[in-house]
Amino acid sequence: MLRFVFRYGTPSLAAGCLIMIYLIIANRDLPLHVFNEANLQSFKILFISILLEAFPFILLGVLFSALLQVFVTDELIRKFTPKHPVAGVLFGALLGILFPLCECGMIPVVRRLIRKGMPAYIGIVYLLAGPIVNPVVYTSTFMAFRTTPEMAYSRMGLAFAVSVVVGFLLYRFMRGNPLKASPSRGGADSHHHHDHHHNHHHHHNGREHDHSLRGKGIRSRFASVLSHSSDEFFEMGKYFIFGALLTALIQTAVERSTLEAYAGQPIFAYLFMMAFAFLLSICSTSDAFIASSFSGMFDYGPLLAFLVFGPMIDLKNTLMLLSTFRAKIVLAVIALTAVLTFAGAWLTEVLL
Amino acid sequence: MIHHLIRAAILTGFAMYIVYVDRTGEMSLYIAPRMELYVKLSALGLYAAAIYQIYAALQKRLGSNEPACGCEHEPSPSVFKNSLIYGLFLFPLMLGFLVPTGTLGSELAAKKGVSLSGIEALERVTPDGGPENGEGKSADPLFPYDEYTEAHAAYGKVLYKQSLITVPEKQYIETLTTLDLYREAFAGKEVEISGFVYREEEMGDNRFAVSRFAMNCCSADALPYGLMIEWPRATDYAQDEWVSVKGKLTTTSYMENEIIVLKAEKLERIEAPASPYVYPDLDFGL
Repeated sequence: MLRFVFRYGTPSLAAGCLIMIYLIIANRDLPLHVFNEANLQSFKILFISILLEAFPFILLGVLFSALLQVFVTDELIRKFTPKHPVAGVLFGALLGILFPLCECGMIPVVRRLIRKGMPAYIGIVYLLAGPIVNPVVYTSTFMAFRTTPEMAYSRMGLAFAVSVVVGFLLYRFMRGNPLKASPSRGGADSHHHHDHHHNHHHHHNGREHDHSLRGKGIRSRFASVLSHSSDEFFEMGKYFIFGALLTALIQTAVERSTLEAYAGQPIFAYLFMMAFAFLLSICSTSDAFIASSFSGMFDYGPLLAFLVFGPMIDLKNTLMLLSTFRAKIVLAVIALTAVLTFAGAWLTEVLL
Repeated sequence: MIHHLIRAAILTGFAMYIVYVDRTGEMSLYIAPRMELYVKLSALGLYAAAIYQIYAALQKRLGSNEPACGCEHEPSPSVFKNSLIYGLFLFPLMLGFLVPTGTLGSELAAKKGVSLSGIEALERVTPDGGPENGEGKSADPLFPYDEYTEAHAAYGKVLYKQSLITVPEKQYIETLTTLDLYREAFAGKEVEISGFVYREEEMGDNRFAVSRFAMNCCSADALPYGLMIEWPRATDYAQDEWVSVKGKLTTTSYMENEIIVLKAEKLERIEAPASPYVYPDLDFGL
């Protein structure tokens, strides 16, 4: 079912965009009266402003993650993985501070880490906390919520707490390998174009060396960083542009009073914002700007739920998770995260 | 190779677009001035990536090995799917370059809901202290304040001494909020304000609101603020027309809320200002 949505959802929405491009070229109005001149103007300004605003942050994120891909080996990370569960969970939750990967780039890395011997629960904690508990996301949240800096603090805090709790529960109850059984390593890898770790080429010739650090000149490493960043820019870009498009459409077409019906009911506001975060699938470096645009409409708690749940679990990474982990584990992690985020955001709202 | 070239074109397109909005002065329509530098810097990053894509295309053309690591993300082989994905990237570029740019107006203001009483999150403090006696509360008879409204009270005292209070661009929201918080103190004061005409059905024939969009970072987070105007021939003024209004401040009831209203004495049509937005003054109260 989800595969179906993934396979046909994005292209069909892109088809919608092509139709709109045609209408722009042909200088024709859309056949719907909501797309009048004023609404088109609002849509254009909102859509492009979200893109322009996010570009610096996306580029920064992409560049950083490419630098990590090229200059930091998984071996090194494995060497530093603690053996004790408490230390391990904390390590996973704080790893994002050292290695701020975006959620899109994270899944293949985490899978690789688990295969290389990192305990699975630590990997999943990193998967959840990493996209939030890191300096890049902290900075952009702080920027977006300039007038309420508490948002940045409580976003970091709640994400940390949720991922640590999930980590301990997984450590206690998860048995066996959470990764999907794959017929062969090579076969599994070829499904995921995300997976481009340098080391995997060298397993089959039995030699453990890492060409990303040795045997290559600074020039080719530089080229490699640029290659990874521009690839990742396009990979994340399609989800981001799509998210911005949806957000601009929603803001242009949906009256505030309609949303207020949800915003007014405390429980629905949380569920609505979490579902919204799930569907938008926006990168964590830029979702704060989108959340702040809703700050007139929703209270602190629902916005916090949006900011914490969105980067941990969303539509696009659920699809990626399902292609990597066993379905039971994925569903358990999603359910746990949703419940904990809901409770945590609600508590924060009540306590602050 | 074709992918590298398409990608190079798209990246260049975005970089060009940033330069274009900067040169035409449209930048201020989309993002707040303090973010402009970062956006301009990102244009450089986009250029660098575009140049790399051309370089990679040439490398492929010359038949040399992948410069990176042979782990290139192979794009999907389906032409249909690829054109859809690249279409998604082209869409904002087409929209940006080809559709003439307007400004945000009443249409969106209605969707977002205009605030007619400044920042609504701030609560009025009553002089007698009210039921709870929070910390830092002051019982100043005209300008009582708590820890959140201290700056507004101080600003209110400054405004109070002026014979004509002009709502400035720089502290538009702060001034409106102060007028609303201390409406009793400012009753009967002469106030001048400018903005675009915004109308709701419930306002009738003799009222409209003079509004501005306040932007934090980008126009997606812009929220409209306004001041209600009472004028017998309010229907003479069309939606989205820019006006400057002078009048006496008083209060009225609107949709079961007490709000401040300006009994207009003089209305003037004005040119739309260079930047339609106002920005929250981050130094306010410091």
